[in-house]
Amino acid sequence: MARRFVAVVHCQGDSAFRDDIDPNTLPHDCDAIVGEHPLGVRECHFSCLGGGTCEKVCPEGAIHVDENRVAHVDRERCTGCGACVHSCPQTIITLMPADDSMWVKCSNHEKVVPAMKKCDSVCVGCKTCERVCPADAIHIDAFLAKIDYQKCLSCGMCAAKCPMGVIHDVNGIVAAD
Amino acid sequence: MSASYSFFVNGEEHTTTENKSLLRYLRDDLGLTSVKDGCSEGACGTCTVVIDGIATKGCVMTTKLAQGRQVLTIEGLSEDEREAFVYAFGSVGAVQCGFCIPGMVMSGAALVRQNPDPSEEEVKYAIRGNVCRCTGYKKIIEGIMLAAAILRGERNIEPDLERGENYGVGQRAFRVDVRRKVLGQGVYPDDLTRENYPDMAFASAVRSKYPRARVLSIDASKAEALPGVLGVLTAKDVPVNQVGHLIQDWDVMIAEGDITRCVGDAICLVVAESESVLAKAKKLVRISYEELEPVRNIEEARAEGAPQVHESFNAFGNHVILEDNVCQSRHVTRGNAKEAIANSPYVVTQHFETPFTEHAFLEPECAVAFPYKGGVKIQSTDQGAYDTRKEVAHMLGWDQEPERVVVETMLVGGGFGGKEDVSTQHLAALAALHFGRTVKCKFTRQESILFHPKRHAMDATFTLACDEDGIITGLDCEINFDTGAYASLCGPVLERACTHAVGPYTYQNTDIRGFGYYTNNPPAGAFRGFGVCQSEFALEGCIDLLADKVGISPWEIRWRNAIEPGKVLPNGQIADCSTALKETLLAVKDVFEKNSSHCGIACAMKNAGVGVGLPDAGRANIRVEDGRAVVYSATSDIGQGCNTVFLQDVAEATGLPRYAIANGECSTENAPDSGTTSGSRQTVVTGEAVRGVAFLLRDAMLSVEAGNGVPAQRVFARGDGKAIEYGDGTPYDGVGYADGSALIAGHGVHPKDPVAALRALEGCEFGYEYFEPTDKLGADLPNPKSHICYGFSSTVVVLEPDGPDRGRIREIHAAHDAGKVVNPIAIQGQIEGGVLMGMGYALTEDFPLKDCVPQAKYGTLGLLRSTDIPQIHAIYVEKDHLLPVAYGGKGIGEIATIGTAPAVQNAYHRLDGFVRESLPLRDTPYSR
Repeated sequence: MARRFVAVVHCQGDSAFRDDIDPNTLPHDCDAIVGEHPLGVRECHFSCLGGGTCEKVCPEGAIHVDENRVAHVDRERCTGCGACVHSCPQTIITLMPADDSMWVKCSNHEKVVPAMKKCDSVCVGCKTCERVCPADAIHIDAFLAKIDYQKCLSCGMCAAKCPMGVIHDVNGIVAAD
Repeated sequence: MSASYSFFVNGEEHTTTENKSLLRYLRDDLGLTSVKDGCSEGACGTCTVVIDGIATKGCVMTTKLAQGRQVLTIEGLSEDEREAFVYAFGSVGAVQCGFCIPGMVMSGAALVRQNPDPSEEEVKYAIRGNVCRCTGYKKIIEGIMLAAAILRGERNIEPDLERGENYGVGQRAFRVDVRRKVLGQGVYPDDLTRENYPDMAFASAVRSKYPRARVLSIDASKAEALPGVLGVLTAKDVPVNQVGHLIQDWDVMIAEGDITRCVGDAICLVVAESESVLAKAKKLVRISYEELEPVRNIEEARAEGAPQVHESFNAFGNHVILEDNVCQSRHVTRGNAKEAIANSPYVVTQHFETPFTEHAFLEPECAVAFPYKGGVKIQSTDQGAYDTRKEVAHMLGWDQEPERVVVETMLVGGGFGGKEDVSTQHLAALAALHFGRTVKCKFTRQESILFHPKRHAMDATFTLACDEDGIITGLDCEINFDTGAYASLCGPVLERACTHAVGPYTYQNTDIRGFGYYTNNPPAGAFRGFGVCQSEFALEGCIDLLADKVGISPWEIRWRNAIEPGKVLPNGQIADCSTALKETLLAVKDVFEKNSSHCGIACAMKNAGVGVGLPDAGRANIRVEDGRAVVYSATSDIGQGCNTVFLQDVAEATGLPRYAIANGECSTENAPDSGTTSGSRQTVVTGEAVRGVAFLLRDAMLSVEAGNGVPAQRVFARGDGKAIEYGDGTPYDGVGYADGSALIAGHGVHPKDPVAALRALEGCEFGYEYFEPTDKLGADLPNPKSHICYGFSSTVVVLEPDGPDRGRIREIHAAHDAGKVVNPIAIQGQIEGGVLMGMGYALTEDFPLKDCVPQAKYGTLGLLRSTDIPQIHAIYVEKDHLLPVAYGGKGIGEIATIGTAPAVQNAYHRLDGFVRESLPLRDTPYSR
């Protein structure tokens, strides 16, 4: 049976805006933001830019940028077409199977020490999730946890044990949604 | 101030200051033992509860995360929901071992509350996190759909089905244990707690860090000093430091100075007041090792100068000195295979390899033991109470007085052969006697994976030949098994692999050599199919290659060679009247021919009963207690449903309804030895004993109904399948026996009012022993009878021929001859479960080892899940003329697993022309 997919944004927006950035003056276009600020707008340069390009390209109105300038997906409306995935210059949007529940809400690829100074909700590559996963479905790749949905059982062990609160549960039971 | 966490469980608020797994809180603090502990890793789903409407694994959730939430367990479902699930699961046959069932019910209930009319696909998704190893999921999916329909008011509960007014052989029988298993009230050993035994302590072994290493020293002083630790036992504390199911070669604990044989080896046993202290204490034990080079596989075991894993073992009272790593060998030969093959126009030779396979039963091993009547009593999960008694008595030095060990088999959460050897029972008994306390010993899931014997890995070369017409002329093969660190059941498993390597055909030239090698891998032993899964995988692959050479279809070559009544099997046994292999072939002929370019076929046979001249008796007693006929027989119902079969046999013989019959305690103290649950023997061997004793009861019922008195003393008889005599030697003369009429289901002679007649017999006792002799392997007879009977099957696996799903399995048609179908509800689930297990064996299951250390966790074994299942058609055929024992039932347990893997291989061969000679099959859409 074909699986339904939905888009997910791998950022919580918990990294502060850089001192030289006034978020209120940023253009509503992520490519333009990248042009002006190649290293992004927050302390963590992997973060969501909040320009809303994904919002513009979404044919279903299923993704929107909140007041903290982070994109969120409405999983009910999302059809998994992938338009937002391709539009995101930060490449922080991916598709995941709609029936799976766990996702990594971070895109950091920086080493632990500098990364932890920049964001409170950052994957530091501690491998706790790797150790507790019963299905060998989550691995750290360049300091970032990545879920293999072919193997994931959606048990939530990774999310429940993640010390940084980076792995989320779409149902909001074993971790924040 | 320490934090506290408050949440609602089944509507009632609970507060705890401990942050721990919700599973442990529900079981240990609230006593909700319906929430089963299958892995505590998030992989199996047995602990599924509903949290704020979402099915969630209790072991993943913590009390801290539960703060403010609503937690629902089976106990908190509404009465309507509970009754709907009990009836639905019972009436479709969704319940076998039952260990996964409460979790399945909770996943199902969460779905139905959200979506009262779910589709089949939605049900599959809802239970994708719940593993079932027995049913193949199909019946569980049907059960959830039916429960939903009942809750919608579209279907009704029929209370008569559970009451069992008509419960005889062939009737749709609602299994005896459905209600307590669905509602989570059934007691597996781990469900015995301090509520039952206030003095309960907990034991767990520290196991070897290396597969092969000399234990230099064991320092348990720090562990012993920890408050709450009762003590640490080592090999010095074991009276006879050796156990073993048949061959005694298994050290209870590895002593200082001795060498370990696998990573599952126990070094010492820590006993503590609580499980948390136990876990801490185990970490404080310091063991120093001298690491040694392990023996990794058959090749290394055979190599010149290879280290010997065992220097000697004890077998049936003999001390055997070993010269090499060969644990067991067999040579099965008849006719002249070499000459027959040399003179045949078509010959194929093919090499095959199969991996170890983990049983992955849902309930990890657990036992509770306590000092009892000058000995010890063990409440265990095993496949034979008397076997467990024998092994434990041997360890305690009580070979001459085994009755000092009393074993009671509790509910068994799946076995599949993996619970034949002792695992926790002897450790619990040792600690109970040492400390004079009740002791629970329970394996973690990983310990279970490391310790219990697996299905043997095989490396084999088969040469099969036939004539111009495709008639098989001879088989020559060598089968090598890796039996790992200990013999376990290597001898009989290897023997069945050899005797069944011939397949269910009729030819007379065979030369089959089998060897079981010791290595430092985890031990291998019994596993559903008992060696035959491996050897028939090889044979059935060769048959397809021969068919191609001859130019006939794979179906046709099997049809031309198929065994039928009166013909001679390759072992010389004459096939009995019930043999229905050809009927199973006919049942799958159409589907094979319609899909011949992309489907595979395989036939299989499996003995029922241990046979080969061994003293394999079935024994049963019936005592009339409180107006009910209570059947006592020490047999393990590991989920296959033999307890239900026995009550059906009694109902058939006596005309009694289900509610007037019961299963008695399954213990060595209160029930006679009726052998192991192994070799598909319970339905036929114990079934015939139950039929026999039920006839004695029926005779007494007829007699009192005719106005005669009740028997003055216990009535006993014994039979061998041909004749029956009473205990005093007089021939049995029950009505309908001499002409055989009452031995056929549906033709019994019953009292007019069975319930009233039974009431008049209150307190009376009846006993029966069934032992049908067989001939030993290699008996010098023209037609030796190796086994009482055989079950047969023909399986067709159909692949998707094209499109995006090309190569995925679309449907499996599994036609079985299991003799008389005792319970039509149960047999389907047995076949479907066996087929799915075979499909996993073929495609996804593996047991990777790195230098003898298992690399798999429960979640990575490759067990198929509900979303992976194809359409499985369970077909059963019955001959008109059946065997006169056990109402013609032949057992379905093992045969159901055997045919699928070779049929899958043959299907891929048809689809892409490529022979895959090893399991799991490579380059399929299922490859991981």
